[in-house]
Amino acid sequence: MKLTAPSSFIAVAFVALCLMLPFFGLPEYWLYVVSIGFYYALLASSWSLLVGYVGRISFAQAAMSGFGAYVALLTSAYLDLSPLPGIVIGALAAGAVGIVVGALTLRLHGAYLGLTTIALAEILRITATAEHQLTRGTRGYAAPPLWEGISQTEYYYVFLAVLLVSLGLMLWLLHSRIGLFFQAIREDEDGAASLGVRVTLWKVLAFALSTAFAGLAGGLYAHFIQLIAPSMMSMQEMGYVLSMAVIGGFANVIHAALGGVLLQLLLEWLRELGEWRLVFFGAVAILVLRFAPNGIFGTLDNWASRRAR
Amino acid sequence: MASQLEITKLTKNFGGLRALKGIDLSFEKGELVGLIGPNGSGKTTLLNIIGGYYSATSGQVSLDGQRCDGKNPVALSRMGIGRSFQVTKVFKRLTVLENLMVGALAHAGTSRRAAEAHAREVLERLKLSRLANEPATNLSGGQAKLLEFGRIMMLSSKVVLLDEPFGGVHPDLKRFMYDKIREWNAGGTTIILVSHDMGSIFGLCRRVVTLSYGEIIADGSPEAVRNDPAVLEAYLGDRHAA
Amino acid sequence: MTFAAIIELAVNGLITGILYALVALGIALIFGVLKIVNFAHGEFYMLGGYAGYVAVTLLGLHPAAGVVVGMAAVFLVGAAVEKTLIKPIHLGKVERADEYAIMITFALSVLLLNLMLSIFGPWPQRPQAIFSGVFEFGPVLLPGDRLAAALVGAIIILVFMAVLRWSWIGMAVRAVSQDRGAAQAFGINIDRVSTFAFAIGAALAGGAGALIGPVFNVVPQMGLVLVIKAYVIVVLGGMGSIPGAVLGALILGQVESFVPILISDPARGMAYRDAYGLVVLVLVLLVRPQGLFGRKERRA
Repeated sequence: MKLTAPSSFIAVAFVALCLMLPFFGLPEYWLYVVSIGFYYALLASSWSLLVGYVGRISFAQAAMSGFGAYVALLTSAYLDLSPLPGIVIGALAAGAVGIVVGALTLRLHGAYLGLTTIALAEILRITATAEHQLTRGTRGYAAPPLWEGISQTEYYYVFLAVLLVSLGLMLWLLHSRIGLFFQAIREDEDGAASLGVRVTLWKVLAFALSTAFAGLAGGLYAHFIQLIAPSMMSMQEMGYVLSMAVIGGFANVIHAALGGVLLQLLLEWLRELGEWRLVFFGAVAILVLRFAPNGIFGTLDNWASRRAR
Repeated sequence: MASQLEITKLTKNFGGLRALKGIDLSFEKGELVGLIGPNGSGKTTLLNIIGGYYSATSGQVSLDGQRCDGKNPVALSRMGIGRSFQVTKVFKRLTVLENLMVGALAHAGTSRRAAEAHAREVLERLKLSRLANEPATNLSGGQAKLLEFGRIMMLSSKVVLLDEPFGGVHPDLKRFMYDKIREWNAGGTTIILVSHDMGSIFGLCRRVVTLSYGEIIADGSPEAVRNDPAVLEAYLGDRHAA
Repeated sequence: MTFAAIIELAVNGLITGILYALVALGIALIFGVLKIVNFAHGEFYMLGGYAGYVAVTLLGLHPAAGVVVGMAAVFLVGAAVEKTLIKPIHLGKVERADEYAIMITFALSVLLLNLMLSIFGPWPQRPQAIFSGVFEFGPVLLPGDRLAAALVGAIIILVFMAVLRWSWIGMAVRAVSQDRGAAQAFGINIDRVSTFAFAIGAALAGGAGALIGPVFNVVPQMGLVLVIKAYVIVVLGGMGSIPGAVLGALILGQVESFVPILISDPARGMAYRDAYGLVVLVLVLLVRPQGLFGRKERRA
């Protein structure tokens, strides 16, 4: 993504806006909503890292977020830790699962890989529901706040900081030679291997990073809304993440992140429509996939670069 | 003096089909060798074993004394074996420059700047400089073939396997590719060329190895092979028999 | 374990197996002809259930007509989906065709599920069965609604297999699924065959949904669990293999019937019930992706 592309300006402007938002005197409710937007932005962008750059399809993003959340809460509770170390452990555990799954699915591609990730996601969700002595099942597991007396504004900045740092890490990685390897693997795995690219290593790393960021998002989210349930790991949630990334532009982490925040705002604005929101998102995602596969922001950039020629 | 690439008693069976029947073959450093044979002769199998896509049923392949059969393509690339494919495998959504840099960057110790400089130099040699920032998907068939060459040139391989590189290529471009191959070879790279295009084989190679039904039936200078009755029979024999 | 009880379990297993087979056949057909994994297949099943419900409960049609309406409605939806969303793949209008097919059918499944959820609400609906009452065969008691569903289902399967085997359109379908290029060279209109195959595959699932509605309720999420099981069957039998799909479905039906009584299952075992099929699916995909009957091909 070029620095002069329109979406870069939008992203920078948006970050500036977000940094200043708490000072506009809006009701706390809006800070709450935008914070959730940051959660989805982290999920959507880490999903696009795997799907957009490496070309490995996964439907387990929401499930890994929930996994990270439960691990964070359970280890904090059983090892008597404060929330922050718990969240780190949750993220690392999710990353470890990503390493295992990435390694096991090396020879799977496309729809077979997709099916496997759906099965794994559902296995995780069913386990979280079934082990209710541990997880309180569908009644939900209560979480303490991130720290005592934390305010909505502080939560907001913590989420924003984590999102920006995570995106920064992703961008740094993707602009390095590893990013080039990721894309070479997506374009032609055999060709990449014949040039000496360590395909196995990068595929596993990509999966692990994607799941680790998801686990991080989940752990943070758990301490934010303070009650998690297996429903956060459902295919409905995955539907949200996919729609957000696709509509924003799943070939670019920044586009996907913007998609996450903006669609979350839209979700909130259309609250009275209930489940019709997902009908709407699904329909828009389908239209985008069919007619503007690079997403809103990707298409905007393409249009701008064509005009510049 | 030990050869660079040594193939010893290489056998490959696919179930009941004996594709390679105990091949012994060696290549010296810097050779430009053509590998020919009718369809089913085993030359693609041989190439795939050297390139790490198949493992041998028995026998071995060594590069500079080190065993290299049974290794995967990534490891072989690091050992110094490069390979082009019959079907071009350029990275379509990456630019031409990025396509070239991937291989160089995959080898540790190469800085991005060095890789880019080397890539631009290769582009210059292939006369593709103006396409540096073009997505590879926009290249014509011939340009894509050249890009594949370029990608392998970037690797500084010891041995390069070229698998039908001239398929569907315009005669002018072919002559240009011959020049590049000769230059490449002159720089010390061993090149093994598999092709059905007899013109290119006899025009480029100083040594031609002929396979038929999994065995070597001729190995010598182009003139000797061209007139070898066994070779003629292998290619034309069926027609005469019918 | 009385003889009567065994018969009852076996028949229940057969009933479930027949319904699984209807759904699995649709998947196998769609994969065979269009070479795509349809992530919205469970929602076609669900749509059939709702179409049947609307026909029987809201329009007052006879339950058997409800099944026909269900299949016809989903056939039309399937045809529309194929023409608008899937056909562009084969016309070269889509970059990254593999990703596209996966993501667009997933998005479609999200759309359809939530559409039905919004229109009908989350509460289960239960249209009237084709046949109520209980059949008595000596000591064996079999619920009439299930028997009727299985009977109709079996008829549909047999008709489908017969058409596939002996009709011109069936031959065209088989030709396209074996070699698209060759089929086209022989003058087969692969566009029409593709649309037809997708629509029929969807209709089979819709038929299963319409048949099962009276027996087990119609809810928006009914496709989610079932489609995983159907994919277990299809992957186990070999993607695109019609006999594999039927055989696998019948086996799974029997397994689900008999295994629970063999294991002394506490509540937790039941909670994991849906996960067993998932574990099988993962194992098959990791160990032997081509299944029992499938061809080994590049899994992309």
